[in-house]
Amino acid sequence: MARALVTGNHAAGHTLAACGEANREARGCCCGAYPITPQSEIIEFLRDYEFTKGRTIPVESEHSAMGVCIGASVAGARSFTASSSNGLAYMTENIFAAGFYRLPIVLIAVNRTLGPPWNIWVDQGDSLALRDAAWLQFYAESHQELVDTILLAFRISEDERILLPTIVAQDGFVTSHTQMVVDLPEQELVDRYLPHCHIPHRLSLEHPTTIGGLTWPRETEHHRREIQTAMEQVPAVLGEAIDEFEKVFGRRPHGMLSAEHTEDAETVLIACNTMARTLRNVVAERRERGERVGMVKPKMFRPFPRAELAAALSGAKRVGVLDRNHSPGSGGIFWQEIAASLQGRSDVLVQDYLVGLGGGDVTPQVIHEIIDDLNTRKEAVEPIWKEVAA
Amino acid sequence: MTEITIFGRGGQGGVTLAKLIATSYFLRGKHVQAFGVYAAERSGAPLQAFVRIDDEEITNHNQIREPDHVIVLDRTLIAPSVQAGLKPGGWIILNTPDPPDAFVEDFPGRNVATIDATDIAVTNGLGTRTVPIVNTTMLGTVAKALNLSLDDVEAALGDLKFGGGNVTSARKAFENTVAQKLKGKADMKAPTAPKGRIAGILDADVGQMPKIRTGSWATRQPERQRLTPPCNHGCPAGNDVRGFIEAASREEYDRALAILLETSPFPGTCGRVCPAPCMEACNRSPLDASVNIRELERYVAEHGKRPEVPAQWRKERIAVVGSGPAGLAATYHLGRLGYRVALFEGGGELGGVMRTGIPSYRLPPDVLGEEISYILRQSVDVHTGRFLDRSDLLKLTHEFSAVFVGTGLQDSRTVNLGNADEEFVEQGIDFLDRARLGRVRLDGLHVVVIGGGNTAMDAARSALRVGARTVRVVYRRTRAEMPAIREEIDEALEEGIVLDELASPLQLHRDGEGVVLTCQRMRLGEPDESGRRRPVPETSEDAQFDLRCDRVILALGQTSNVAILPEGSEIHENGELLGLSGAPMFAGGDFATNEGTVTAAIGSGRKAAWHLHRTLTGENLFPPPAEPIAEPDAVTMHLFKRSPSEQSAMISPVERRRTFTEVRRGMIDSPDHHPALIEANRCFSCGVCNQCDACIDYCPEGIVFRNGDGYRFDYGYCKGCGVCASQCPRGVIYMSEL
Ligand SMILES: Cc1cc2nc3c(=O)[nH]c(=O)nc-3n(C[C@H](O)[C@H](O)[C@H](O)COP(=O)(O)OP(=O)(O)OC[C@H]3O[C@@H](n4cnc5c(N)ncnc54)[C@H](O)[C@@H]3O)c2cc1C
Ligand code: SF4
Ligand code: SF4
Repeated sequence: MARALVTGNHAAGHTLAACGEANREARGCCCGAYPITPQSEIIEFLRDYEFTKGRTIPVESEHSAMGVCIGASVAGARSFTASSSNGLAYMTENIFAAGFYRLPIVLIAVNRTLGPPWNIWVDQGDSLALRDAAWLQFYAESHQELVDTILLAFRISEDERILLPTIVAQDGFVTSHTQMVVDLPEQELVDRYLPHCHIPHRLSLEHPTTIGGLTWPRETEHHRREIQTAMEQVPAVLGEAIDEFEKVFGRRPHGMLSAEHTEDAETVLIACNTMARTLRNVVAERRERGERVGMVKPKMFRPFPRAELAAALSGAKRVGVLDRNHSPGSGGIFWQEIAASLQGRSDVLVQDYLVGLGGGDVTPQVIHEIIDDLNTRKEAVEPIWKEVAA
Repeated sequence: MTEITIFGRGGQGGVTLAKLIATSYFLRGKHVQAFGVYAAERSGAPLQAFVRIDDEEITNHNQIREPDHVIVLDRTLIAPSVQAGLKPGGWIILNTPDPPDAFVEDFPGRNVATIDATDIAVTNGLGTRTVPIVNTTMLGTVAKALNLSLDDVEAALGDLKFGGGNVTSARKAFENTVAQKLKGKADMKAPTAPKGRIAGILDADVGQMPKIRTGSWATRQPERQRLTPPCNHGCPAGNDVRGFIEAASREEYDRALAILLETSPFPGTCGRVCPAPCMEACNRSPLDASVNIRELERYVAEHGKRPEVPAQWRKERIAVVGSGPAGLAATYHLGRLGYRVALFEGGGELGGVMRTGIPSYRLPPDVLGEEISYILRQSVDVHTGRFLDRSDLLKLTHEFSAVFVGTGLQDSRTVNLGNADEEFVEQGIDFLDRARLGRVRLDGLHVVVIGGGNTAMDAARSALRVGARTVRVVYRRTRAEMPAIREEIDEALEEGIVLDELASPLQLHRDGEGVVLTCQRMRLGEPDESGRRRPVPETSEDAQFDLRCDRVILALGQTSNVAILPEGSEIHENGELLGLSGAPMFAGGDFATNEGTVTAAIGSGRKAAWHLHRTLTGENLFPPPAEPIAEPDAVTMHLFKRSPSEQSAMISPVERRRTFTEVRRGMIDSPDHHPALIEANRCFSCGVCNQCDACIDYCPEGIVFRNGDGYRFDYGYCKGCGVCASQCPRGVIYMSEL
């Protein structure tokens, strides 16, 4: 492993390239590329990369970038791209198409606030808005987790039991533009880890056919149920992928979620991405003071690990959800999922905190204030807007 | 954990310095983190970058609020506020030429390290004085303050592939850093973030939202200039070429003609016979072809209305001798200034060579006549048939307030060809005058013309038109060296005239009904003082050849008759005749200069008029020195599409051979084709704003506004990006460093 001081975008670009290159003896790889802040360095990296078999194709919009990925994938190439914010919004029609075509494309979403008003900083609303597009979704808390999750993503997506695309999200700027020390995977290891990409329903000249044509309600329902079934397989396939990962790379990445100090905790906080890292430090501080506080970091958002989450929260009395996103008219999107996972539990209070929207710097102090607030609550109220420092 | 905050401006490399510091610790096996706060990613905008260093994995991703050390890259950002939150014992590392104790009031009780990184960086070629790139230099000082070694510095620079001036600069900074603990008690107050009111998108008073004065971070500003278009510079008559074309491009032909008439009374003539040095200078020619200025000038003369002439006359009367373009231009400009003019012409008609030399198939007499009669609408007493001699001229200096002499070239050069009969040899100038008056026919004859200038070409083409069976032109050099206007040579050859290049006449002798002209073959030798290669005789055996013919026309050039000038006088550079006792006398045109073109004669006539006016009144009409010329690189060529140049309609060569009808018919409009308009729109308007609005359209900040005929930049909001300058097609906008 090569330890390097690089930005999150560089780490993502490097890993995507290695994964693409690993398919050189099969049907190669392809990246449909269109830039947008804060993602641009990823596709710039890929544009400059000389693939043995494959290429980066610059196009005129995000919509076309995903179109290129779909075309390449349907021809059997390992395909990937990256986007952010309004770019993802513009790509959306084809994002749904990729999911429903069941093409194992990997997309790096560098989370950025959707405009207007224009804002380039982190907010997970852009990728969470794509939750119904039949894509797997992972949220990476660090550079290393980003690298590792991209590797896992190709393996799971391309697994014959799954055949669904995957979004791997990272925080705009906080990870994408921050230099950190990270183990970048060497090509030889990636080659070992990733089987050749085999897409069973790929189009070929030998057997001319098409996919995705007109269907009747019965077939459509069947198609959706197949996708649901595939989603249900993800936990098992992810488990296998992690085991194999450990064998090849010698370290064990987080699974669907990580529950920390939840065994005896009455108060449990939930957060993902870099916010989870700040939360972890705060929880450690509180436990040193003897407080029974725990945390859960859901890394996987689609499929949502309902059972695992319910299990992790089985002893909790108060759950606080930190949402760096906002579904107008409802509240935080993680909170909705978590509340649904705990249905039937009258002994637990689930409170939502909307925090760090539009890229606000969520400091340990802010999280302390949230924990203090949560500990005094008798019952949950509507999502609370928690302001952060300027 | 060690935390460092860097204050800098976009473009100075603050984020890279963060990475360099992180790298030097990373290479020592530490955990590190480096990041910037990205807001306005623009050159010159204030920016912060952060570094964390630890033995453990770093899990904190917040901005640093209580740093262990702070670094300030830009002198203008040094202020007490940078120490907000700084922990006791921490370093304040400053880029400044001043020593640490100069900051005792700003940072009492603090550890301060200083270095003049800007100077070191610029000396070593890193950035410019306005935007120096000081990051690598500052690394040296940071290392010094934080107890890193020079090896650490060089390892980090090497790891990030910084070489050369960067390493030298960092080393220099390491060695020259001045570090010291300042006297006094440190200010440990924690910073308080100001809490302002937050305005939303629907607020009625959104207009009151705190405005971000983007201009505050600009390091450059757009300015506007006016350059001299090369065509204007190239026109000897002094025409505002670009100006008249711009008016024509807006179909304002009256205005276009008025612009031409400011300088020249002969746009219709020049629009036909001028060799058009303006077109040779035209910036458009490297892109496709120069703008067809000459034809546009003709078009404007034909389509514009001439303004009324002023009718207020001064008491001074001025004598003008010679009515060629020089004399007539002087008359015209003197008249415009209110002078009464007495015009003396030796011949029977006005116009000089324009009348007697240039044939009507190139310049119809009525076109010339119309332009002359416009001049005569002023107060002009015309005296034709008055060939003045030296004493007449002296008399004028006592009868008039001033005298202008523009008598052109009078004496034709000749050559000794032996004693063949005079009836076979004629001077071109005389032949042309006879031909235009219909006093000569050469039906069925073989004609040889000797010479290579306009007279030779006109004589040859006129000979065809008065019936000659064949016409050959014998010239000592090659076609490339011929002084005649290029188009005229082309048209002559089209009409069937044969050119014998590199041939010099030796002897003429009678042979039966006609004559035989023996010629010497020549070759080009070394260049002479005119820069043209001198013709030298070939030495081989067949170096001579004979041409049988019936008539020989000489067109070897003319010289001026200086004998008419008063004894002891000499012509000053500006045309003034010095050494005279009476009224001031000026000379111009071919008589005084050696230019040999109508346009140059016009220019010299106008200047003489202005000189006379200055001598008589003290008023100076000459414009101040012109702005620099708009060189081709002032024009943003890629913004223009290639398009062919529109040409004049022509009558066919076959038709041309037998008629004196004008060969060029000008640019002819049809309902669906307006060649002159298309041609006028090909002009780049080099170096002169023509209100194309590109700056308004392209400015990403929307801060360029129309201001009367010009434009205004709102510098308060101009971020200095330079898009306006890069999109100005004609070099009017440039960026000046602040
Ligand atoms: C055949 C020919 C073709 C040409 N073609 C072109 C062309 O196509 N384009 C171009 O730009 N240039 C051309 N030229 C050159 C151009 O015509 C001259 O450079 C220009 O006419 C000079 O103008 P001027 O006023 O100095 O003299 P001129 O035009 O020579 O006028 C001088 C006038 O002064 C009169 N004069 C002379 N002596 C006296 C005296 N003692 N008393 C009273 N009156 C006197 C003459 O009769 C004449 O009318 C051509 C020249 C010739 C000979
Ligand atoms: S006078 Fe001759 S040089 Fe001047 S603008 Fe006209 S064509 Fe061009
Ligand atoms: S492009 Fe227009 S302004 Fe420029 S040199 Fe040619 S005629 Fe003159």
